[in-house]
Formats: sequence, structure tokens, C-alpha cells
Amino acid sequence: MSVEWYLVVSALVFSIGAGGILVRRNPLVILLCLELMLNAGNLALVAFARAHGNQDGQIFALIVMVVAACEVAIGLGLIVAIYRRKLPIDVDELRELQG
Amino acid sequence: MRSAGVSLETYGWLVLAFPLAGTVLIALSSQLLPSKLHGYVGTLAIALSFLSAIGALFALLDLGPEERQVVSVGWDYANTVGVDAQLSLLLDPLSVFMSLVVSGVSTLIHLYAVSYMASDRGYTRFFAYLNFFVFSMLLLVLAGNFFLLIVGWAFVGAASYLLISFWYRRTTATAAGIKAFVINVVGDVGLVLGTYFIFKHTGTLDFVAAFEGAGEFARNDGDLVAGCLLLLVGAFAKSAQIPFHTWLPDAMEGPTPVSALIHAATMVTAGVYLIARMHPFFEQAPAAADVGAILGCATLLVAATIALVVTDLKRVIAYSTMSQIGYMIMGVCSAAYSAGLFHLMTHAFFKALLFMAAGSVIAAMAGDQNLDRMSGFRKAMPFTFACMAIGGLALAGVPPFAGFFSKDEIISLVIARGDWHVVLGVLGFAGSFLTAVYTWRMIFRAFYGPPVEPALELEGGHLHHAPEHTNPATGEVEDTDVGFPGADHHVAEREWSMKVAMGLLALGATVAGFLQVPQVTHVLHDFLEPTFAESRFYEALEPSGALTLTSLAVGALLALGGIALAYALWVTDEERRRVTALRGRLSGLHGFLARKWYFDDLIDTVVVRPFAMFGRFARDVFERVVINGVFVGGPSGAVRAGSAAVRAAQSGFVRYYAALLLVGVTALGLYFLIAAS
Repeated sequence: MSVEWYLVVSALVFSIGAGGILVRRNPLVILLCLELMLNAGNLALVAFARAHGNQDGQIFALIVMVVAACEVAIGLGLIVAIYRRKLPIDVDELRELQG
Repeated sequence: MRSAGVSLETYGWLVLAFPLAGTVLIALSSQLLPSKLHGYVGTLAIALSFLSAIGALFALLDLGPEERQVVSVGWDYANTVGVDAQLSLLLDPLSVFMSLVVSGVSTLIHLYAVSYMASDRGYTRFFAYLNFFVFSMLLLVLAGNFFLLIVGWAFVGAASYLLISFWYRRTTATAAGIKAFVINVVGDVGLVLGTYFIFKHTGTLDFVAAFEGAGEFARNDGDLVAGCLLLLVGAFAKSAQIPFHTWLPDAMEGPTPVSALIHAATMVTAGVYLIARMHPFFEQAPAAADVGAILGCATLLVAATIALVVTDLKRVIAYSTMSQIGYMIMGVCSAAYSAGLFHLMTHAFFKALLFMAAGSVIAAMAGDQNLDRMSGFRKAMPFTFACMAIGGLALAGVPPFAGFFSKDEIISLVIARGDWHVVLGVLGFAGSFLTAVYTWRMIFRAFYGPPVEPALELEGGHLHHAPEHTNPATGEVEDTDVGFPGADHHVAEREWSMKVAMGLLALGATVAGFLQVPQVTHVLHDFLEPTFAESRFYEALEPSGALTLTSLAVGALLALGGIALAYALWVTDEERRRVTALRGRLSGLHGFLARKWYFDDLIDTVVVRPFAMFGRFARDVFERVVINGVFVGGPSGAVRAGSAAVRAAQSGFVRYYAALLLVGVTALGLYFLIAAS
């Protein structure tokens, strides 16, 4: 199978994730969408690694997973904190940092 | 006699060190020691300084006459190409003489102030300031280069400001302090610029080297005349000479010991010292010296006429100070150096004495200084009266008191210069007649005639206290807390320290004249000779025997005549009424003199108002339109507009940020794709 198919899937998944971030207001779903985008990137990296025949892309994909795990931990922590303080679970309502 | 192991240089530094140590000690221990002690600490510091000055005198006399010019360098402050700013003292007969006069009179005035200021809440602060003043003045007279001279000069001005405004809650006192400071700063600028003109040619700040370079100037060289005239501006501002004299009468708002110390005996003579010190330059620039002599003569007459009509006791003495310094300036500008400095010394004695006696009278009047309300204090205050009379005789120039010899020596030397200097000398005689009249007008009015209420109270053994404390100038009600005069008043009759100080000064005012009896003794003249060794006039200028005798006789007659006139006019109540009637007929002249020749109004119109107008213009037009509008408004407006745009992007919508990010990254990616293809 040529690398293009992998890349098409990756682009589709990435676009779904990006679109989800733009249209959804629930932070939990946004987090899921972010995860989709990261894994789309991972897919592309692994596909390229295979196409080129070396392991650099795979190693990089592993690092991205580590980063994703950290990001999820912080993101979920934030969501729990929001929930505990009985704030609305809606990113449009949470805009105290506006200029 | 060899002074055991202590060198002249050490003595010179000690003279400076004691007052400085006194200032620091009093200031730092203000909360630790009982305030009563600070007066004695301050007095002791100055007394030690005086003793060191005596030590310096003996050490100086040990040296041969041609060696009596010692420069002691503490350290180099800055020594680079073209600038040699050092901490150096010049110890020669002139500086030692000045430090003796300054520290000696200061000691007595400190002693006087120990009692006089006793009930003041600012007692400690007063002595810290007073010691600081003495330190500054000694720095001024001992300075061995222009740099240190300017430092001392400015310190003295600052100390004067602090002490004039000592009662800082009195609006009149603070206004007087500001006036004095501003005029003194004008003088400071003159001194600095004058120094520059001289430095430009001699290339050194050191006195000795600069004086050696003085001979290289052409006679009346343009730069040198300009430099000397600027030095005169400095001297005139400090010495209250026309046209910079208006601050001195106002400075009488300060406590009486301050008037005695700063505005009679020491600070105001700094100008005389400066001209005497700079004599090598002034002799090369006779044009500048002549201007100085003429203005000095004008001051002595103007001040004497104003003193005839002033009704404030201290201001009469203040105008008399201006007038006497006019004599000294006229003298030193006409190359009568030793005579001018001799008068400086005797004047320090009798003028400090007069101020102290006046302070005692003012205390008896519970702070009131108005001569119109004083009368008949003779029986109530015999000691004060005796001191005032001795001071008055010395000031008027009655033989054999000190002022007689010193003033007549100036006049006869000025006449001996010949040419138009003769006119100055004759005007000097007119001034000495006026001096006798106004001095004794003051004394007769305060001490003769029917006793007033406070005098009667004092005779009955009780010191008069005003029912309410007020500012004598404006009548504003005051309390007695810090910033205003203290509750109790102290008169010489009852305080030993005031009595001792006044007694010693009275002694000085009586006998100091014998140092320089014409044709007989030349103590001061010989002592100061090394300083003026290269002067063209010092030895050459010698009045003939006939001239000396004539001027002595004329001086004595004028003094006695003046006193007689004052006696005829003011001694009894009936005569005083006649004088009042006379004043009514001469109201034009009286008004002119009472408005002080309109000098205050003139300066107000010529200087103060234009400057105030310029200031308002600067504030309304320049500040508001140019500075606020263009310089401040332009950049800050741009920043504000820019930040408003950036701020608008900060909506707080996370999804909006994400969209921007996506669009941005996509645009960047597209750009690179297009650029790569």
C-alpha cells in the first residue's frame, strides 16, 4: 500500500479533530478532538517512517504520545477543577481572560 | 615658641574637623542625649575650633615671613588632564585671620544661644545647623582652591537658608529664607562663572598657582575683567551689596543669634574675604575693582539712609551691617586690604554685640521688634544698655572704640588713592555721620524716654510675656511648639552665658581698635603682609600724616555730631513728637526711604514678574501644548491605539483562538508550498 492512503486517512482524522475543536463547546469533547489531531499526526509520522525505511518517525511518534499523555492529564485536571467549582462546562462561558 | 609636635597643617584640619564633628554628633545623638546638652556640645566644638585656630596662628608665626603660605592637600578629588580638584587648605595669614574671627565670634554667639534659645523646641536642630554653618564658613575661608571655595560658598548659603527659615511654620520666615537662598544662588553662579573665566587662562584651580598666573594677564584683559565682575556678583550676593542686598533685611526673620552670627559677623563678610583673597586678579583688572568700590560706596550710603527710617530694631542693625560692609568692600576694592579686613574684625565684634543686645531687648518685649513700641529700657536693663552703648559708640566711630580706627583707616586710605577715589572717601565721611545718627536714634528710642509696660514690668522683677504668641511682623497667632519660637524669653540681665558672651564682645569692641592705631601700631598690617606681598599697593598706599590726622579728626567730629543730632531729635517724648511732625512734612522723602529706595519693587518689576510671566507662559503654552501635546501625547497616543487593536483580539473565546491558529498555520503552510513549487 502506498503512503498516500495513510496520509489521506491522517488528513481526514486531523480535519475532523480541527473541525471538532472549532464547533464543539464542551471542553471534554475538545480534548478528544485534540487527541484526534495528535494521533493523525502520529499516523502520518509512522507512515513516513515506513516509507523511508528508518525509525526516526516512529521515535518521534512515541514522543508525541508522551506529550499527549501530559496534555490529557492537565486538560482533565482542568475539567475536574471546573466541575468542582460548579462552573459551566462550556468554553464560551469561560472567558475571564479576555482583554 | 614651638608648638609641641602639632604642625600648622594639623591645626588647619582641626579647625575644620571640630565643627563638623559637632554637627554630626548633635545630629546623630538628637534622640539620645538630653537636648540641653547639645547647646554645650555645639559651643565646645566651636571653642575647640577657635583654640585650634590660635594654635595655627602660633604655628604660622613660627615660620619665616616668606614661608607663611602653606598648602595642605588632604587628597586628590580629581586629578586629570586640565583639572586639579583637591581637598586642599591654604594656610596663610589671611585665612588664619579669618578663621580666628569666625571661630572666635562664633564661640561667643553659641554661648549666647545656649540661653537665648533654651526654651525653643528646636534647640537641638538649631545647634546642629549652627555648627554646620561654622564648618561651612571655615571651609570657605580655609579653602586652598577654587573648587573647595565654591563648595564652602554654597554650603554657607544653604546653612543660611536653614537658619533664616529656622521657625519654619512662620510664613514670613520661610519666604525670607527662600529669598535669601535664591539671591545667594545667583551669587554662586557668578562665582562659578568667574572661576571659569580665570581657569580658562591660568589652567589651574589651585589658588597659589592661579595667583602666580595672574601676572600673565594683560592689564584690564577682557576675560579677566569679566571674571572679576562675576566674582563681584558672587561677593555682592553674599555680602548684601547693591543690587543683591534685598535679602539681608528680610533675613532678620531668623532667631537673633543667627542674625548676630551669619548676618553680621561672618557670612556677609565672605564677599570682603573673596575680594581680598583674589586681589592679584583685581589689581590686574582695575576696571572691575573700580566698579566694586563705587557700588560699595553706593551701598554704604543707601543702606545708611534707609536705616534712618526703619522702625524694626533688628532691621536697623541689618541695614547698618550692609552699610559697614559697603565700607569694607570699598576698602578692599581700593586696595586698602588690611584696613578692610581690620574693619571686618572690629565690625564682627561690635555688630554681634549690637545684635545680642537687641536680642535681649526683643526678649524683654516678648518678641516684639518694633522700635515704635519700645522706650525707656535704660533702668530695666542696665547691662544690655551698657553693651548696646559700647556697640553703638564703636559703630558710630567714636574714639577710642574699635570702629573709629578701622573705619577712618579705610576712608583715609581710599582718599590716599587719589583721583576720583577722593569722592568715595568724602562720601564715606557722609556715611559715617549717618551711621552715628541712625545707631543712636535706635539706642535713644529703645532706652530713653518714658518706660513702656514691659520695661516697667522688668523693673519690678518680672519678665513680660505676651498674653498670646503672635508673629510680630503679621500678627498671626502662633503656638510655641517646634517650628515657632519657644514659650519663654531670656534677657541678658538674667542669663550668665548671654552676659559672658556680650561682655567679652564689648571688651573686643572697646580695645580691638588699638591693634591698628594710625602711625603707631600696625599689628594687623604686618601680620597680613605675606599674603599681600606681591600687591602693588599694600606697602605703597600710605596716607600722609596730615591726611591721617585730618581724617581721624573729621571722623571723630562727625561721629560725635551725629550722636548729638540723634540726642536732640529722639531722646525725649516731646522731641520725638516733633520728629513725627517733621516726618509729616517730608513725607515724600520719608516714604522713599521707608520703601527702601524702591529696590524691592524694582527687582520685583524687572526680575521677578517677567520671570513669573515667563514661567506661566512656559506652563500654559510650552508645557501643555508642546510637551504634553506633542512629545508626551504623540507616542502615548500611538501606543494606546496599538494596544486597543491588540486588546480587541483578546476576546477570551478559546475556539476563536484555535480558529486563528489554524488559519495562521494553514496560511503559513500554503505560503511555503507555493514558494517551494
